Amino acid sequence: MATSSYLSNPVLKVNSVDLTGWCTAANLNRVVEAQEDTVFGATGNARTYTAGLENNELTCTLFMSYAASEVYATLAPLVGTKTTVRVQPTSAADSATNPGFILTNTYLETLPVLNATLGELSTIELTFTGGSYTVDTTA
Amino acid sequence: MTTYRVLSPLVGTPGEIYNPEILVNLNALISGGFIEAVTDEPTPADEKPAKTKSKKTDQE
Repeated sequence: MATSSYLSNPVLKVNSVDLTGWCTAANLNRVVEAQEDTVFGATGNARTYTAGLENNELTCTLFMSYAASEVYATLAPLVGTKTTVRVQPTSAADSATNPGFILTNTYLETLPVLNATLGELSTIELTFTGGSYTVDTTA
Repeated sequence: MTTYRVLSPLVGTPGEIYNPEILVNLNALISGGFIEAVTDEPTPADEKPAKTKSKKTDQE
C-alpha cells in the first residue's frame, strides 16, 4: 500500500476565477513531445528520442451554471482565446507539498454551451490545450 | 489610471482592489461581472492650475 496518498479535492482556477465549487474532475498532463533522433550505428538496436515542444493539456469536468458570475459567465468570453488556468491538489497555501500547477497562454477551443440529459445535472467537459507550464511552490 | 474592484468572491474579497495576475483576461472578468473598472477621476484640487509666482523685476 502507498505510504502517502491523498483524497482528490483539487482547486481549479480559470482566468483567476475559482471554479472549484463546480469541478468534479481535473487532469493536467505535462507533455513534452518526443522527437526521434535515432541514427545509423546507434547502440542497442533501439529507437531513441529527444525532447521537442511542450504540448500540455488540462481537461476538467464541471457542473454547468448559467447564473450571474458563475461557470458560463467565466468561460463564454474565453472561447477562442488564450488564458491562464491553475490547479492545485488542495486548497492549502502553495508549498512544495501542495504545488500550484499553472498553464499560461493555454487555449480554450470548445465550450459546450448546452449539455442536457433528462433527469441529470448538466455537466460540461473542457480541454485547455498548450501553454507554458510552471509550478508555484511559494505562498 | 484604471484600477479594478472585486465584485465576486470567486476572484477575491468583494469590494477590495483586484490585483490582476499576469496574463489574465480582464475583459472576460469584467464582462462576466467578476470585477469592475474604477477610473480615478481627478479631484477638484487636482484640476486647479498650478500657481505661478508673479515675478517682480527690479527696475531700479
